[in-house]
Amino acid sequence: MTRIDDWMARAARQLARRTSRRSLLAGLGGALLGGAAIPLLPVSRAFGREPQPGEPDPETPEGQANACEYWRYCSIDGFLSSCCGGTHNSCPPGTSMAPVTWIGTCRNPADGKEYVISYNDCCGKGPCGKCFCRRNEGDKPVYYTPKSNDIDWCMGTDSVVYNSTVAVVVGVAVEKG
Amino acid sequence: MPRTNRRTRRTLSIWAFALLLAGPSDADLPLEPVGRVATIKTPYSPHWVFVGDALGHRTALIDVEDGRMLGTLDSGFGIPQTLHPTRRSEIYVIETHYSRGSRGERSDVLTIYDKASLAPIAEVAIPPKRALSATPVAHVALSDDDRFAAIFNLTPASSLSIVDLEQRRFVSEIQMPGCSLVYPIGERRFAALCMNGSLLVIRLDDSGREVGKQRSQPFFDPETDPVTEKAARFGDRWLFPSFDGWIHPVDFSGPEPVFEERWSLTSERERADGWKIGGYQHLAVHEKSATLYALMHQGGIDSHKQPGSEVWFYDLTERERTRRVELVNPGFTYLGVPIEGGPTWGWLVDWIGDRVMHAIPDIGVDSIAVTLDDAPRLVTSGMFSGGIASFDALTGEFIGRVFSGNLTNAVIQTASPATPGPR
Repeated sequence: MTRIDDWMARAARQLARRTSRRSLLAGLGGALLGGAAIPLLPVSRAFGREPQPGEPDPETPEGQANACEYWRYCSIDGFLSSCCGGTHNSCPPGTSMAPVTWIGTCRNPADGKEYVISYNDCCGKGPCGKCFCRRNEGDKPVYYTPKSNDIDWCMGTDSVVYNSTVAVVVGVAVEKG
Repeated sequence: MPRTNRRTRRTLSIWAFALLLAGPSDADLPLEPVGRVATIKTPYSPHWVFVGDALGHRTALIDVEDGRMLGTLDSGFGIPQTLHPTRRSEIYVIETHYSRGSRGERSDVLTIYDKASLAPIAEVAIPPKRALSATPVAHVALSDDDRFAAIFNLTPASSLSIVDLEQRRFVSEIQMPGCSLVYPIGERRFAALCMNGSLLVIRLDDSGREVGKQRSQPFFDPETDPVTEKAARFGDRWLFPSFDGWIHPVDFSGPEPVFEERWSLTSERERADGWKIGGYQHLAVHEKSATLYALMHQGGIDSHKQPGSEVWFYDLTERERTRRVELVNPGFTYLGVPIEGGPTWGWLVDWIGDRVMHAIPDIGVDSIAVTLDDAPRLVTSGMFSGGIASFDALTGEFIGRVFSGNLTNAVIQTASPATPGPR
């Protein structure tokens, strides 16, 4: 045991002599950066999910409410409530849902119809930090207010502090056909 | 035992007293006063920039030449919105606070900071309704004589709050239904963009109250090819870029805006190849050399916020492109700490960083700005990269990377306007 301890201590001292804390941090950072370039292994996000009527197959990205590719998120730019303690149409616990929103039009691959999606922000707690998605289909600049996803839509709530966003079906836009 | 403790304490006290009495010998460092706080030399160097942090609630003043941090300004919730007058040694920061952090009573203020000490010296309460968004431009503006600040409100009813900066008081709120944002266009005029593709021009009197409002004819089609909010000022003109890369120049020198003929940032071939303007802060002007800088990427429809891979330079007199500069990665950080390889591995980290930046569009360059001096620097940053890269803004040559210490780099502002007018 003592020999192992001695060897570890020697190795640690040698490593410490050769590397500064700064370079260690830099090395770790480099590894992290390199890691970012390697595609992540596929993880089944649909685990335990049952197919919902009218929704796409939960085994496909278009059917997974915590994937950026989920069909309702076509115009989103923000954190997904479904990754932050809520679901695709309910806000995380303790936040409040803003009543005013921007809207988008997304195609549901399950029935081929275009739906009007209301992107309500969840407010009153700081940014969620998980599942940041930026798709922007049909997004317009800030002066085109009803279709601008850059605006902090935490309006009409007690706090303007933004946490995440839900995607609520509020109507059928155009019959596919 | 208590007696022993008392004795030990007494002995220690005597030694401490003796040490206090002992002065420094000749070989020791001189004693230094406690409580000193640094100040900044003014006027600022033209190569100092403020870099705003969307998550850290602050903006950092950084020297792009050597990476020195000169100081920081705290800025409350949202992307920092700062104003830099030329006639007063002050900085104005528009802030939103809650009494309990993210909840409680909301208060919005325009805080006046001293430029040398970076300390708050006064504040003006404004209506608690300023617009917050991920767009870091055109939400606040200074009149050209630095007398008034205009702050864009959105509840979602839109209006402007006007603050008198000489009297340091809130003056009035001006409603502007159907129009948003704010662009300075003179000493007593501000402009806003409207949802139907027109402009609203608001005139103030010398007390900061509205004396006139005029809507123009539409000058672009917001449905087919909207202009972005991220316009750049060139003297009396504002240049509004469209999603498809058309520049719409608007001349505000007369009583009414004049809409000049649009011109394209791209050739037909480049447009077909998908070259577009993109990012969060994607246009900049160097007034003295009449040069326009546009952050460009190759992307499809709706890629107007995609970070850029190149900056294209244009001669504004001829409306011709003069240069294409391929961007390097602005440097990456982890929780604000630079990821660097040092002298041995720096080249490898940079090489990987460049490939990562070009392979994953979302972590490229989001913002560009240009310093206003005779040896201008083109400064680039990425929202999530954490680093700042600088280029010679006349030749396009890459100069180096520095770091802001921010968690995110959401906006770059030049700290020292050399001439009144464009900011």
